[in-house]
Amino acid sequence: MKKSKTTLLIVAAAVIFLAGITGSLFVLFAPKQSAVNIIQDGKTLMTLRLSEEKDRTFVLPYGDSSNTIEIKDGRIRVKDAQCPDKTCVHTGWLSSSAMPIVCLPNHLVISFADSEGEVDAVAE
Amino acid sequence: MKPRRLAELAVLTAVALIIFIIELQIPNPFPIPGVKLGLANIITVYAVYHYRAYETAMMVAVRLLLGSIFSGNIAALLYSASGSVCCLLGMLLLRKIIDERHLWLASVFGAVLHNTGQMLAAVAVTQTAQLFAYYPFLLVSGCLAGAFTGLCAQFIVPRLKKIKPKTK
Ligand SMILES: [Zn+2]
Repeated sequence: MKKSKTTLLIVAAAVIFLAGITGSLFVLFAPKQSAVNIIQDGKTLMTLRLSEEKDRTFVLPYGDSSNTIEIKDGRIRVKDAQCPDKTCVHTGWLSSSAMPIVCLPNHLVISFADSEGEVDAVAE
Repeated sequence: MKPRRLAELAVLTAVALIIFIIELQIPNPFPIPGVKLGLANIITVYAVYHYRAYETAMMVAVRLLLGSIFSGNIAALLYSASGSVCCLLGMLLLRKIIDERHLWLASVFGAVLHNTGQMLAAVAVTQTAQLFAYYPFLLVSGCLAGAFTGLCAQFIVPRLKKIKPKTK
């Protein structure tokens, strides 16, 4: 009885693992878009059209901490941050529409905007 | 609680804390929030199978608190605590189903639950559902890291048995 349950759980673990791999691939290969939302504490601070943005850096303060955002050649990244883990900096340039840049300590999320496809179609 | 048992718990907690601090010094090759090996969980997995639930919970609580103070990342305490609560509850239930020879399996589920709890806390705190995009990566890393730490725990069980007289 115990043994068959263990087998079942091994299968369950394998399913979780494969689902994770499938999901990861899906996220990695999601196409990138040109509009980007910068969200802090659930509020959209700004929406940028990367292809039309000039190269620049700016600082987003958050309490005693801050994130330095860089826009260059139509790409965006967190160039520097005062957060303890620096994960947001190490993530590098925003590249997948499904995978945002996240700075958990500063509650900051930078992600491609959802409705971008439609907006683009109207604009062009 | 007997002094001997208390001392054992204290030593295990200290070991977990040391492992935690050492792991912090190793640069993480995966810049994804929440993805880490979690080597300190070797001790947690071991403790789940060798100590009472409240004893293990105490160990984990102390490690989380001191770990967040030592690493200077107190904000991360909320995420790691939610993860650990899920992980512990899950493993304490699984302890009844999975025997010790399959410690690695209990550890895999523990790690996946840990990452799930962490994820939910992060989405709640940032109020940003886009964070769920990281969930598949957390599942994969949870399975791999959980299996690894679980195997490590399985490896140390016979060694600890040699130096530890039967108390239970
Ligand atoms: Zn950060």
